[in-house]
Amino acid sequence: MLKDITIGQYLSGDSFLHKLDPRTKIIAVILYMVSLFIVNNFWGLGAMLVLSLAVVLISRIPLRFFFRGIKAIVFIVLLTVALQMFMTPGEPLWELGILKITKEGIRQAVFMGTRLILLVSVTSILTLTTTPISLTDGIETLLKPFQKIGVPAHELAMMMTIALRFIPTLIEETDKIMKAQSARGADFESGNLMERAKAMIPLLVPLFLNAIKRADELALAMEARCYHGGDGRTRLKALQYGRRDAVAGVFCLCMAAGAFLTRLL
Amino acid sequence: MSLEMKHVFYTYQEGSPTESHALQDICLNINEGEFLGIVGHTGSGKSTLIQHLNGLLKPTKGEVLIDGININQKEAKAKRKEVRLKVGLVFQYPEYQLFEETVEQDIGFGPRNLGLSDTEVQERVKEAMALLKLDYKTLRKQSPFDLSGGQKRKVAIAGVLAMKPKYLVLDEPTAGLDPRGREEFLEQLAVLHRQGMTIIMVSHSMDDMAKYAQRMIVMDHGQIQLQGTPQDIFSQPEQLQQIGLDVPSLSRLLLRLKQRGLDVRTDLFDIEAVKTEILRAMAAREGKLTC
Repeated sequence: MLKDITIGQYLSGDSFLHKLDPRTKIIAVILYMVSLFIVNNFWGLGAMLVLSLAVVLISRIPLRFFFRGIKAIVFIVLLTVALQMFMTPGEPLWELGILKITKEGIRQAVFMGTRLILLVSVTSILTLTTTPISLTDGIETLLKPFQKIGVPAHELAMMMTIALRFIPTLIEETDKIMKAQSARGADFESGNLMERAKAMIPLLVPLFLNAIKRADELALAMEARCYHGGDGRTRLKALQYGRRDAVAGVFCLCMAAGAFLTRLL
Repeated sequence: MSLEMKHVFYTYQEGSPTESHALQDICLNINEGEFLGIVGHTGSGKSTLIQHLNGLLKPTKGEVLIDGININQKEAKAKRKEVRLKVGLVFQYPEYQLFEETVEQDIGFGPRNLGLSDTEVQERVKEAMALLKLDYKTLRKQSPFDLSGGQKRKVAIAGVLAMKPKYLVLDEPTAGLDPRGREEFLEQLAVLHRQGMTIIMVSHSMDDMAKYAQRMIVMDHGQIQLQGTPQDIFSQPEQLQQIGLDVPSLSRLLLRLKQRGLDVRTDLFDIEAVKTEILRAMAAREGKLTC
């Protein structure tokens, strides 16, 4: 059950999207998100939907991965849709006591629901087609210019890399400790909320202790290999823009410009 | 009464591209009072097998019977506690599972989960600590995290012993212990066995197996490849080497001597017996030469 967690999952492949430079992809996702919120008529929203479908097809990733990702946010989407529908003031279409649905409400609900779903699918395309390592590399290089104003770009990227690296390890360990404690009669599955929370202590104490110990060892191992932060560090695989990045970049700029135009018209 | 595995299969992540068959058609009978050794290299399915013995894993196919209780059946949920009570499972590096403030509380965690009264729990803790030669008076109020590695390990194992299991399953209990700690621990295990506890031990050390196990199974690729007494198993060194395992160091010595032409028996595992045998063979050769 714990092994089903798929945060930042990556699926290897050799599609156009897989080969793009991570920086291009990160900027593209940001532009897409901005455009998504700039667009304010149904034609524009429809275009964004078609665009994301095209991207999904180009990535050649099995559709069930997207559905799995969307399943996780179904509750949030429904909540947003319901809130928008009932809370937006305007011309009432249907009324029951204090509940009323307005024309503006329905419009808002459709917009917010679609935006949320598109947001999640496009960001999951980013993680599905980019290895965690190149993703953090990309973030690091993009943040470099902000180092002058005190953003610790390298440190942030390193922290992200390490965190991603240890997610599977921690899941495995949780599984192991859970088993060991249930062999001693611990019960994680029944009881009320308080009892269950209490039952977590035998799991969490060893888990945290081991994680802290592991962090210590990792720090030592990194220092032993002369790690001293980002200054003067070179890379085995330096990031390099190619022709396809130019294509993708121009395309994304057009998309953003188009989004702006829908506002003006 | 016994632990029984009938044609057990176990598959990790069934149906996904990463599925792996950890156990394939395992048939195994473990009798009460036995000392069973399980060997096999990493990934051969040993750990998966022992997790079936107390119901932590349920077979994908086949049956596991624990004193006649079938853990695969739905009704067995109510009996899960009973099964866990009968079979004590000590995982690899059990000291990583310590969590309580004091040694006494940690060892008492299992008995408390069984719903025993405070005095009973205390009795159990005392008994379990005595079995592993841990001093109750000096250690009970200490934090388990302040102890040495070897003592932590003992405290963790005492936590399982305090549940008074009929069958004790240990996954490489001596890994990472120093030679003396190792020897001491195995001796204490042998004492427990003499007192009537059934012991099932996974180990990489063929020397330990030769010395303590009554019966052995050798696993490879999720299957039981060899089964029998240590004498039987270690008399087939070629097969063991094929799987990537070795014979005990004393057997290796005897086999080499035999290769060099000294007429010795190769089925001895006790250092004293081996010494006598080598001396005897050498004396016999001397005798031949002088004649």
